[in-house]
Amino acid sequence: MRKVGIVGAGITECRGRWVEATYWELFQMAVRRTLDDAKMTTDEIDSVVFGIYNDIFEHQAIPESSLTGIIGMANKPGTRVTSGGATGFYAMRTAYMEVASGVSETVLCVGGEKATDCFDPRSQTATPMVIDTIAKSWDPFYEYPLGATASDSYMQMCMGYNDSYPNDIGDSHVRAKIVEMMCRQGNRNPFAQRRDETVTAEQVEASRWIIAPFLRLLEACMYTEGAGGLIFASEKKAREISERTGSPIIWVKGVGAANEAYAPGRGSYYKPLDRIVSDRLAAERAYAMAGVKASDIQIVELHDAFVAQLMITMGELGFVPVGKTRKLVDEGIMADIRELGDDKRPKKGQIMINPSGGLIFGGHFVGGSNMFSMWSLRREMIQRQMALGLIHGTGAINAVFGGAMVVELDGGAK
Amino acid sequence: MNKDKQPALPLDFNLPKETTELKGLDGKTYLQFTSHMVTFYKQTYGEHSRFFLALRDGRLIGAECPKCKQVMVPAATWHCPSCNFVEMKEVNLPHRGVLAATAPITVFPSASFIGDAPFCRGYVDVARSAPAASFMPSRLQTLTGLPRPGIFVKGTELKLVFEKDRVGSIRDVFWVPASELTKEQLAKEPLLATELDFATPKAPDVKKDAKLTGVRDAAVAAMRKMAADVERSPRAQKDIAGRTHSVGVKTGGGDFTLHVSNGRMRIDDGIGDKVEFVMVAADPQVFSDWVADGSLTDGVVEGKIWLPNKESFAVLPILDRLPRSVRRDIKDAAR
Repeated sequence: MRKVGIVGAGITECRGRWVEATYWELFQMAVRRTLDDAKMTTDEIDSVVFGIYNDIFEHQAIPESSLTGIIGMANKPGTRVTSGGATGFYAMRTAYMEVASGVSETVLCVGGEKATDCFDPRSQTATPMVIDTIAKSWDPFYEYPLGATASDSYMQMCMGYNDSYPNDIGDSHVRAKIVEMMCRQGNRNPFAQRRDETVTAEQVEASRWIIAPFLRLLEACMYTEGAGGLIFASEKKAREISERTGSPIIWVKGVGAANEAYAPGRGSYYKPLDRIVSDRLAAERAYAMAGVKASDIQIVELHDAFVAQLMITMGELGFVPVGKTRKLVDEGIMADIRELGDDKRPKKGQIMINPSGGLIFGGHFVGGSNMFSMWSLRREMIQRQMALGLIHGTGAINAVFGGAMVVELDGGAK
Repeated sequence: MNKDKQPALPLDFNLPKETTELKGLDGKTYLQFTSHMVTFYKQTYGEHSRFFLALRDGRLIGAECPKCKQVMVPAATWHCPSCNFVEMKEVNLPHRGVLAATAPITVFPSASFIGDAPFCRGYVDVARSAPAASFMPSRLQTLTGLPRPGIFVKGTELKLVFEKDRVGSIRDVFWVPASELTKEQLAKEPLLATELDFATPKAPDVKKDAKLTGVRDAAVAAMRKMAADVERSPRAQKDIAGRTHSVGVKTGGGDFTLHVSNGRMRIDDGIGDKVEFVMVAADPQVFSDWVADGSLTDGVVEGKIWLPNKESFAVLPILDRLPRSVRRDIKDAAR
């Protein structure tokens, strides 16, 4: 397989709702910024990969069809990827494969979502309808009729984990501390949805319950409208573009993915309720391909749908022991942005987790959230001169979809 | 449409056809139009029909693999994915199971399930003698009032209960903790929901504790102060306009009754005969917390407040608005 580099990235502002733009404009805005960042024109792009989670949100079946011409990709091949919450990751994986295989020299990978045009007539608010739309991710025979939400699904994982590994994610002080630290990080992200908010650990613990005992209102990700784009290029093309822009290449060093079975159960291939096996397998595969260990990596942009899940995921990714993920806070493993400022690297033994503010403070435009993570990771790796970084995506009911991508700064850290 | 049947889409689940203006962050005017993406289905249950037909007959069936002996319940397929898709055979399953993992309680449901909350669903291990098995996604109900933390925990022994009128839906059945049933009820197959009393759950006993009397008195004083503030708060009066509720409250520090009527609130000592329902909280502190901008709903979510039914739960979000409304109006008046 050929070497593949990321040479451009651009995102829109993350907003709770964009009344000023439809998904057409949001996608074009992301593409304009991405091409601008790479100093490229649409002529130089061989093909496009779209990350769009849900037709119902966009209110169009095959929404990528109406986007093709608008984003300058007419008469080029285009593939739409949709894999639940992990859509962004799987779109990047597809873009990577297209270049690695030699099919294309340059691929535009663009993802986004217009989620909050949905509206619930009875409560006269958007949220219950957004939740209902996501709840359609369940099958119509056995699960959807029971009425669970995406939050229930991820909390089911957390409860199963807590059954097997008590005294870890259950400490609300630890979770609240992580939220406070991520808030400070989100404040530094000019595109973050909640960049102007100050949320303290005390406020997190005083916020209303969504599902006891692992999810309060301030521990959940956002519903976001926005879009983000990336340019994946072959080694030759990447070097040419990098010379043009003066920005170093971020090489894709390892890609791993795993989707667990939909049905939870005991033994065989069934999804265990106390672990996020998809995360673990995805990370192991990405590390093996990259020839690295978790301990080699000090910056990660992971898919934090909920803080308790973030903790479990950090365990599954191998950064802290499963069952003792509270070490992130107890032992200061999560680096404090106040000590790092804009250009320092974390100390040995520390990890930067979601410098973007994550999906909780940055935003979660589902089809492109993991591109948003990659945009941030690239920015931070270049600014802080960090050699290795990791992206993680999770999705679908009971967190059964997982993806991980290890990337490397060209020439290593200086 | 047949007038005897519920519509698939509730009739109030709709919006007027219109295009309206709204302001952007840039101060400019934008338009938005109401629309929908409703698709109706007459969706076949196909290979799942066997499972739902069995439920209608009062039986629980699964699919067993003749090679690896795993059991799938419900049968997502009748060909074992682990054994080269060998055909699986139908097996009758016991009406007893064990909760595979502690189950979350849904308090804020999606648009289609508003009114059902709070409810509990989880995964039940039914085919326990099989070397491997899927878990059955299930509704979980208790005879002791609304679901609360601590009832549906991992390992809870459960009994399958069938609705009397079964239509061919996963909602035709649910599970109840075995410890809440008699020997005879546990032995009966199928056990029908109509044979159980969900309507009049027994309130938990609350031990009167002298140490909590002061806490109760402080809570009542705080609520009476809030009731006085409601008199001066147009927002709070609007919150409870047109509503009449008399809620008895049993606590470890003594009882009281919370009245709401004509946009006013009143707290009486003791519990009268004509209360709408009685809620129970061992520790009365939860009511002081409510007045201090907290939430009674949170008290239910945490399991600090016991409620008999969903109807009583629906009253709490209305009461929860009062502290904030009062605070905002007092703040405005101070300006």
